[in-house]
Amino acid sequence: MVAETGFALLLRPYLAPVNLAMIYLLGVVAVSARADRWIAVATALTSVAAFDFFCVPPYLTFIIEDFEYLVTFAAMLVVALVISTQTDRIRAHAIDATEREARAQALYRLSDRLANETKLFDTACVAASVASEVLQSQVVIFMPKDDAISFLRRTSATLPMPESEETIAQWVFRHGRKAGLGVDDLIHAKALYVPLRGARNVVGVMAVVPTNSNSTDLEQLGTLADRLANQTALSIERTLSHNAAEASRLQMQTEQMRSSLLSAVSHDLRTPLASITGAASTLRQQGERLSAETRNELLESISDETERLSRLVSNLLDMTRFESGPVALKRDGCPLEEIVGTALHRLRGKLKGREVSVELPPTLPLVLVDEVLMGQVFINLLENAVKYTAAVSPIEISALAVGDAVEVSLRDHGSGFDPVEQDRLFEKFYRSRTGNAGGAGLGLAIAKAVVEAHGGRISAFNHPRGGAVFRFSLPTLTLPVAPQEPRLEEQST
Amino acid sequence: MKPLILVIEDDPQIRRFLRVNLTAEDYRLVEAETAEQGINEATARQPDLILLDLGLPDKDGLEVIGKVREFSQAPILVLSARGQEGDKVAALDLGADDYVAKPFAVGELMARVRAALRRSSTMAVGQAGEAIRFGNVAVDLDKRVVTVAGEDVHLTPNEYRMLQVLLKHAGKVLTHRQLLNEVWGPNQVEQAQYLRVYVAQLRRKLESDPARPKHFQTEPGVGYRLVLEPAD
Repeated sequence: MVAETGFALLLRPYLAPVNLAMIYLLGVVAVSARADRWIAVATALTSVAAFDFFCVPPYLTFIIEDFEYLVTFAAMLVVALVISTQTDRIRAHAIDATEREARAQALYRLSDRLANETKLFDTACVAASVASEVLQSQVVIFMPKDDAISFLRRTSATLPMPESEETIAQWVFRHGRKAGLGVDDLIHAKALYVPLRGARNVVGVMAVVPTNSNSTDLEQLGTLADRLANQTALSIERTLSHNAAEASRLQMQTEQMRSSLLSAVSHDLRTPLASITGAASTLRQQGERLSAETRNELLESISDETERLSRLVSNLLDMTRFESGPVALKRDGCPLEEIVGTALHRLRGKLKGREVSVELPPTLPLVLVDEVLMGQVFINLLENAVKYTAAVSPIEISALAVGDAVEVSLRDHGSGFDPVEQDRLFEKFYRSRTGNAGGAGLGLAIAKAVVEAHGGRISAFNHPRGGAVFRFSLPTLTLPVAPQEPRLEEQST
Repeated sequence: MKPLILVIEDDPQIRRFLRVNLTAEDYRLVEAETAEQGINEATARQPDLILLDLGLPDKDGLEVIGKVREFSQAPILVLSARGQEGDKVAALDLGADDYVAKPFAVGELMARVRAALRRSSTMAVGQAGEAIRFGNVAVDLDKRVVTVAGEDVHLTPNEYRMLQVLLKHAGKVLTHRQLLNEVWGPNQVEQAQYLRVYVAQLRRKLESDPARPKHFQTEPGVGYRLVLEPAD
């Protein structure tokens, strides 16, 4: 603001006040695109005041002679509001999507722990222990698998009846009638088998082995067992339907998450497409009528936006590649210097005017990496630094051998990041709040995926003397022969 | 007469864009939409250079390279998608001269076309006993002397041989396999890490900033290119 005022005062003799307002407007736009709405409005208001005070005659008072300036004031306020609302919305959208994803992931983990299977067995185990107390017997409940009963799927560790009786349990399950000890012709079986009949089908078989048996008790035992079996069947059925509901709820959550990710991505894809289409159709329809300068501007925006789109598509493809399973790495022993050099060469345009220092000890071992993917890590980290620091702010790349790994650090001299963001920086689609994020929030996520695919780890922290540091470790390779006099030499002619 | 260029590309938009730019530089042009058509045109018209898209509808573009190389030494420039380093290497090993990754800028493509045509029309550099110069490096192939800014530099025999091979193909990208084969023979083509070490040593001895090489350029996942006169 002070700089703007100084600038405006300097230009005051040469420009009309309305044009001086543009200088303030520029500041308002810059602030609105980054800060939240209230800061933007405050900036607009102070800009209006400063503009009025310094640039609208009579100078150094808030009195206005020409009421046309009210229009200028209103315009500044509206611009601030519109831009900051827009920025807020985009930011909220991206944050929302990542948060929803995190929630769905937590749900997945939860459902892992409480796997349906476990819940079902928990229910059956409780029923079995209650029945065993009530019936003064050993009680085992068998569960079906693929439409047949299995002695392996049971509630107790020991099997109190011979394995040969599995056929009786099978018969009970299929026919829904009880059999075994004290019933019909299987009167000498070791256990009484009672079907667990639910509302729709048989959900299991309860086996009762009395601890002290005499024939008069057996009938009473049968009736009691029937009642308990009904209760058990009901609660097992309830657990089953609850599991089904849970599964479909999870499915829905996943679908929702996917569609919100999709909408975040399609927003990022459509924005550059809209600018390209707009610029191209303008050129086509009014080509002749436009000044050479305007034509150039439109062409430039087409090529800039195309590049942005192309980078986004590559990032999305890379990310998809890493998400769809393990990536085949083409590992080879490479000098780190070469990988860094290639990345710097690729980004020479973006790094122009910036001091990038590379400090690599000459004794650094070769790193055992996929040179293309590792190059991408450096490119993404450098692009990230470029995005979040001033145009002339230096960047330092250094590396050290630590044990049998090489530890690489990339430090910038920007304002660092908010510590609360630490855990989220590497999440996909996450854009830091501190910068004018132009990307899709994939660069660091890809860097992390690549480093981890190499068995390394990547972390970020703020340097005590300012700026952000990204540090990651890489595996190394020791050449079997000294590179100076290799065996290759002897075989050459 | 201006060189004749054969474009084998199935996408009409890319063909149109190539046509506009190539005819603007007065090259004569033949176009083919399929591999089959491309091979026929290459046989019939004997083009001076071939621009070949690898993703053709009827056949793998790599097959075209093999077929064309049976009867023609015209430089082949491959247009390939980004991230398919395997395809680039295969194309180069089969005899393609260079590649441009899609999406590419027109300036880069035209520079590659000019360089490929120049390489095929002139003999290898430094034939007449004159030192080859790049940056502040001078290489006297007859006397086997290498100097940087006038000072003699000692290269090991391996480093020197590597430099020789790179110089012989200056401007052209050489795959790891091609380099290893030319420097140490066909039995050592799987030892890419040695190459990297030698290139690193050449850079340390000959480049002013080895971390930002101007001449010994890396083509990630593919190989190396010695650039005598870097553009920037």
